[in-house]
Amino acid sequence: MSKKPTAGPALHKVIMVGSGGVGKSALTLQFMYDEFVEDYEPTKADSYRKKVVLDGEEVQIDILDTAGQEDYAAIRDNYFRSGEGFLCVFSITDDESFQATQEFREQILRVKNDESIPFLLVGNKCDLNDKRKVPLSECQLRAQQWAVPYVETSAKTRENVDKVFFDLMREIRSRKTEDSKATSGRAKDRCKKRRLKCTLL
Amino acid sequence: MDFDSPEEKEFPGLYASEAADAKSKKSKEESDFSEDHEHSKKDLLIGRRKDKKDKGKDRGYAALGGESSPEEELDTKSPSKSKKSKTFKFTSSKSKEKREKSRDKSEKEAKHPEEDPPPAPKAKDKKADKKDKKDKKSKQLSQQQDEASAAEEVLALGYPVFGVSVSLAIERSRCHDGVDIPLVVRDCIDYLQDHLKCEQIYKIEPIKTRLMHYKRLYNNREHDSAVDELNLPTACSLLKLFLRELPEPLLTTDLVARFEQVASHSKVTKQQAELQQLLEQLPKCNRTLLAWVLLHFEAVIQQERYNKLNAQSLAMLLSPTLQMSHRLMVALLCHCSTLFADVKLIKYVPPLTSASPNFPDTREDIQKELSKQDSLLSQIHSEMNAGFITKKREEQLWEVQRIITQLKRKLRTFEKKQEKSVDELDNSSSAPPTVASEDTTDSKPTVAPVDSTSNSISLEEPKAEARLSKQPPIEFSIDPGTGFILLPKSNPHRENLLRLQIEYDELMDWQNELKARIVAERKEVHRLKQLYEQQSINSQMAALAVESQAPPESDYERIIEHYTRENALLEHKKNMLGMELKEERRACIALQVELRLQQF
Repeated sequence: MSKKPTAGPALHKVIMVGSGGVGKSALTLQFMYDEFVEDYEPTKADSYRKKVVLDGEEVQIDILDTAGQEDYAAIRDNYFRSGEGFLCVFSITDDESFQATQEFREQILRVKNDESIPFLLVGNKCDLNDKRKVPLSECQLRAQQWAVPYVETSAKTRENVDKVFFDLMREIRSRKTEDSKATSGRAKDRCKKRRLKCTLL
Repeated sequence: MDFDSPEEKEFPGLYASEAADAKSKKSKEESDFSEDHEHSKKDLLIGRRKDKKDKGKDRGYAALGGESSPEEELDTKSPSKSKKSKTFKFTSSKSKEKREKSRDKSEKEAKHPEEDPPPAPKAKDKKADKKDKKDKKSKQLSQQQDEASAAEEVLALGYPVFGVSVSLAIERSRCHDGVDIPLVVRDCIDYLQDHLKCEQIYKIEPIKTRLMHYKRLYNNREHDSAVDELNLPTACSLLKLFLRELPEPLLTTDLVARFEQVASHSKVTKQQAELQQLLEQLPKCNRTLLAWVLLHFEAVIQQERYNKLNAQSLAMLLSPTLQMSHRLMVALLCHCSTLFADVKLIKYVPPLTSASPNFPDTREDIQKELSKQDSLLSQIHSEMNAGFITKKREEQLWEVQRIITQLKRKLRTFEKKQEKSVDELDNSSSAPPTVASEDTTDSKPTVAPVDSTSNSISLEEPKAEARLSKQPPIEFSIDPGTGFILLPKSNPHRENLLRLQIEYDELMDWQNELKARIVAERKEVHRLKQLYEQQSINSQMAALAVESQAPPESDYERIIEHYTRENALLEHKKNMLGMELKEERRACIALQVELRLQQF
């Protein structure tokens, strides 16, 4: 997990997951190029790299935008394995996409085998609050269960778009320093166990 | 490369048994492995683990010499013992040649006991043995080879590219531009094609450790053409090594005997046709690989002036590697430009990496690059799914994905620009966009020459239809009899669309008719050829008899002149009639269209 010193600025690998049509690509493109794409075009997989300044430190972010559809589940594992942090996106106007986050979470945990992997639950399309199908309380409850932050965004209005990416990068960064500090494997295990108990409660 | 120790020279037999042993074991493993591969990916994974384990054992065995694990001792105890005693005896005699011979002998003996239990590797071993010996005769390579196979156990990891079937090697070492030959072969040929005039070509042996280094790079997919540039001897030997280590002859075990048979024919014309026929029976990947290798060899002998290699001498050097007779290789070299007229040696441009500075700029180049990157990506995915996961691979996965995304974005901007220009065009003609674009696509080809007409229309029309069907506001129905799209009667474009569809239909009919005629003509040509061959035998006999009655020379010339003139005239007339026919046909179609239009 520790970065090679030769690679220059620190690189954080972020993966976008969530059902089809919830706005993963829209969030990514808004973050990358400040553009909002109205028309829907299913993604197979896309990857972007951007230099950003995170708390005064120059870092690079790699964003992998994955397919929401089950058809590409086979190649998903390959990406998940190399991801360092995950943005799990659903649409607040679509209850099914919210239900699907459970499955994505499970898949990620299965591949990463790590309960405390940097992870954000993101409710997108918050500009369409009048069409909301998923009550805010339910979203917050799920985030609490998973012990992850919950943020509502709008790729259209750019609300909280930078926030989710930067928050996630901070988590990844602190996770990395934590890992390098915890030189012994046991400390890491203990940390994991504690987290596990939390989610069980 | 710990095996390069000087002991090897003093006790040449010491490692030979292990090398031979490792070799036979390897061929067994790999045939297992490739079978696994055919079954499923899961099996493959298991196969690989097993493979790895076995390799580990081999390594231990090779390194420890006599002290092997018990199960291995069972198979190999006797040969290695008999071997050692023998070699010690022979090392006392200082003659180098004798030593070579003794090794040969002991190697053979060592193999005998093993050959009995497993029937499949037996054949392979024998062949390898024979081949090895041939090589020794011609190039005195034996020592190097044995060392090579011993070192290999240390080098090979996971999925090797060397020593597996052609199709597997292609899958694992892919050229991403659609040419289905293993990348390692492509790289070697590319390099050698640039150095054809070099006198050393196929004559000098490389430093063995260097050769093995490259083999390892390719086996582990770590080769980076920018960093690891080949040199001439290495490229030659790497290519030869790959071909030599193929588990089956390139011409396949089933067909190689028939190839040899054809090569022993005396008649050159017949030979070519028969070789062609046999080549068509080869698996496609074998044929392509053979084509590339032979066309490259042909290019080598074309530079005989510089490299002093002609077909005979090159075949002498390389026919053992290709596991064919000298005669067969000469025959193939002689015909290869016609046999493989469809294949061209194209230099490989590997997919871009983020390090490469210039991205393609034109639409075509982007699309080409995109398909390369897609091919690379799918290979990475399939390998990762099969368990071939390294940190480097993961990084490559992200990088390739990033390049693809960039290329796609670039392509999209091109498309947007084009759409804009089309929109402008539409606005100026003040017609609804769908039909206007259809007009522009279809009106052009109908003026073009006939052959291209049918093709381009068949390509354009479905697109136009698809575009139409995407437009929700335009209502249409589909005629059950013909499958034509019918717009409502009120629509001004109804007639136009219908007309185009009928025309398309008619042109397709014509195309089919012409295709059928071409097939018929080809059959006729074939029949006439056969007839000609029969006749030519007869006429040769007859010619002797006729000669005496032949008219005087001047008459001959006159007659010849007359007929050439007459033939030219007829040819011209025929062409004119052909043109007229085409015109008539076109008019016919136009009328036909009008006629059918009335039905709706």
